[in-house]
Amino acid sequence: MMNSVCAEQHRIGCALGGFYTALAMNGVLPILHCGPGCQEQVQNVLALINGGQNAHPFQEMFLPCTSFSESDVVFGGTDRLRKTVSIALESYKAEMMLIVSGCTPAIVGDDVAEVAESFCDAKIPVRCAELPGFAGNNLLGHSRVLRAILGTCERETSEVTPRMVNVFGIVPFYDPFWDGTLENFGSLLRAIGLEPNILYGRGNGYRNVKKVPRAEFNIVASPWIDLDVTVELQERFGTPVFHYPMIPVGPTESSRFLRELTAFSNLDSNHVEQYISDMEDRYYYYVNRSLSWIHECRNMSKEFIVISGASSALSFTRFLINDLGLIPEKIYIAENVPSNYHEIIRGYFEDVAYDGPVEVVFTDDGGLAAAEMRDMNLSGKPIILGSSWDDALAQNLGLPYIPISAPLGDYPIGSKNYFGYEGGLSLFCEYCAACDKA
Amino acid sequence: MALNLDSPQSLNRETRLGSITGYAGTFQDLTKKGCAGCLSNKKRCFATPSTCSHVHSINQLAAIDDVAVIDHAPLGCSGSIIYYTVGHNKRRSDHFDGKKRLAVVVSSNMKESDTIFGGTEKLRETILAVHKRHKPKAIYVVSSCVSSIIGDDIYSVTQDASLELGIPVGFASGEGIRSKIWSSGFDAYCHAVSRTLLDAPLEKNNTVNYIAFTKINRENLDPFMHRLGLDVIYLTGGATIEDYKSASRSLASFGQCGSQSSYLAGALEQMFGVKYFQSHLPFGGVGFERFYRDLARYLGKLDIAETVILEEREFYADELAILREKLKGKKAFVALGASYAFEYVRMLHELGMEASHVVAYHYDPHLDNVSDEPVAAAADAIEIGYDFSVSVNDAQESETYLLMKRHPADIFISRSHAGGLWAAKTGIPTMEADIGLDIIGYRGLVSFGKGIVSKLSNTNFTLNLGKRYKSPFTEEFESRNPYFFEDDA
Repeated sequence: MMNSVCAEQHRIGCALGGFYTALAMNGVLPILHCGPGCQEQVQNVLALINGGQNAHPFQEMFLPCTSFSESDVVFGGTDRLRKTVSIALESYKAEMMLIVSGCTPAIVGDDVAEVAESFCDAKIPVRCAELPGFAGNNLLGHSRVLRAILGTCERETSEVTPRMVNVFGIVPFYDPFWDGTLENFGSLLRAIGLEPNILYGRGNGYRNVKKVPRAEFNIVASPWIDLDVTVELQERFGTPVFHYPMIPVGPTESSRFLRELTAFSNLDSNHVEQYISDMEDRYYYYVNRSLSWIHECRNMSKEFIVISGASSALSFTRFLINDLGLIPEKIYIAENVPSNYHEIIRGYFEDVAYDGPVEVVFTDDGGLAAAEMRDMNLSGKPIILGSSWDDALAQNLGLPYIPISAPLGDYPIGSKNYFGYEGGLSLFCEYCAACDKA
Repeated sequence: MALNLDSPQSLNRETRLGSITGYAGTFQDLTKKGCAGCLSNKKRCFATPSTCSHVHSINQLAAIDDVAVIDHAPLGCSGSIIYYTVGHNKRRSDHFDGKKRLAVVVSSNMKESDTIFGGTEKLRETILAVHKRHKPKAIYVVSSCVSSIIGDDIYSVTQDASLELGIPVGFASGEGIRSKIWSSGFDAYCHAVSRTLLDAPLEKNNTVNYIAFTKINRENLDPFMHRLGLDVIYLTGGATIEDYKSASRSLASFGQCGSQSSYLAGALEQMFGVKYFQSHLPFGGVGFERFYRDLARYLGKLDIAETVILEEREFYADELAILREKLKGKKAFVALGASYAFEYVRMLHELGMEASHVVAYHYDPHLDNVSDEPVAAAADAIEIGYDFSVSVNDAQESETYLLMKRHPADIFISRSHAGGLWAAKTGIPTMEADIGLDIIGYRGLVSFGKGIVSKLSNTNFTLNLGKRYKSPFTEEFESRNPYFFEDDA
């Protein structure tokens, strides 16, 4: 891990950004106990400039917020927080409220848990998650928020709903494609005979939180995110965990994912193999229909550089190596991945159909790639997969670029995603277009 | 209150100008109380997020060419900077070498241990690392809630670093907790550049300073200034350190609004006698005429101004008449910053429209001008004499939402801060208002009017949204008193 003293080009929010995980669940209302501007700092990097996103129906600027100020530093902010929660309970149609507190109340020692507990008689659960920015980034926040929300679910019966699976591993908003990815993830699981229980997105939310204990097993599709949460669920409810280190993008990874999942869950492998064969055939049908365009004097990038979080870096790297046959120049993981996961994650990157080295750097400095690339002796015209920061860098260097990670860009992306076979096809086309444009 | 430019820190707006973020009443009442010094702030018992001074000191400093900004804070406190970077790149295409510019804002990345042991050593290291990586011509360190509460002596660190590196290393007190008014962040930027970049003039030039976010569309301003024999120094995003150094040689300054520009224009007036014009802002026809006359009179060129004004009036007369016919009697709900809220009401008035209600994000009863000329809103209250329903809230969308329902309008005019979002959701056509050089003079007025006409010509988008709107709030909330003031609760 390179601990930089020059941390710039923010690609991640502070711990408070965990409130987006709550906002992605219908019925859960985060109550902000922090300064009036903290929300905005998180919003720009995780939502607004991250594919033009905003939360719905509780848009960020309408969340209750104590707007912690100088007088609260002196007198403490818990009275104001209590008042804010009471008014919020009268005003918002929510099924659960979650107090999230930032740096200043943590420094002055506000007892936020006590405030949450004082609402134990309220009609809906009121819980809290302490998310001071100095404690970590929005991934820490995501974990704390998710655990606090899952803390409200209890197992009413010992019965398991057959074939029902909870889907974990995606950090909503931070992963700009979360919404569309989860819709397609759900469809894929349904197609092979499972019943997905997804917590985030349209029509999902708190009602699905209540179903979590009854799942047959939990799927975690990420290198490290949500492993803590599912271990906790395993301890509480005995739910087994199927861990797959990433969201599958493209045919190779999607088929591998399906085969491993089939083996884990005793699904009908004939049916799944048929599905795989059909989907791969479809993918290559469309690739074949683009081959004359590629062989029309195009000089496509052979090398690539990724600057993103671990989860998407892995998904995209595997697709580019295994399916498009590209060569990794360097992979920058610009989120503070806990050091105990570094070697495991390196192993995931090396588990590809390519013998050359895959250089992976873990850093908390979003500007490291740009600083290094200024002096890097680049072979060819590597394609850059990164964020809006790298868009400007790529343009200045005349390199092709595809946005894949926060802050993705200053335009709405709707349901766009790169999940599965179809996602691989989208990425293939964007790769072609980006190389041709640069 | 005179600016104290000897202090390392700027005073916040509440203390310096008596500015407020809580008020409900009428335009005449607000402006009269402001002038009389008896305007008091209403505190809220319930709030929604807005923005804070911190980010506004950072984004203004980071927009100066060849400047690096260090945010002495946890990493997340400068997360917004991507917003300003992409915005800046969109806006500077017309006057740059085509290269995209990445705002250089580096966080000292304060962690939990720094809150216990202090962060000045880390800050020192960050300054050196930034100097090595970016080789800036000046560095500014901005304080945050965390670094200020734990009492880091940032100013001393910047003083030492400046000596060591041989470039200006300034300090901007931009911690969010110091002020309820986000414009105090603009003041922190102005204070920092005033102390580090302004030089005493050896001579005067025929220039005028325009202090604002951006100089895009400068072609709307330059010709008017040229007619008076003036060139414009743009103290805006993309300005150079040299631009700031030459500002004291100007004859006069004005700005895009009282919020962003007052402190620097006030400092230039107080330190170097550069006249600060703020009572009449040049927006719309009436605004332009008054501003242009003020400036021309000061230069002894009133005759030129009268000629230009007649030309402008005549050129746009027909278009304006058509617009007035189309817009007569239409109502707009306005939610904008302290200056633009009222500038836009006057422009609506010029178009034959009226405001159903006006939300100003704060109100400054005074600005930093040396003279005793009233602020622009107060000048309008006296000179135009109209009245309308007004409230002051710092982008409190919960309040604005309830007010919007009680003061129906044909169009909702706002800018950023998600104001328009709730109007659109509930079926009201919206308009994101332009500011600054886009709305100068009769040209700006006509363009604004045409914008409204075209927005109202097809309202299907908001109509369809409105039909599907499901309120996520309770009946109790929907029917309550829109204000969350403490003494009303």
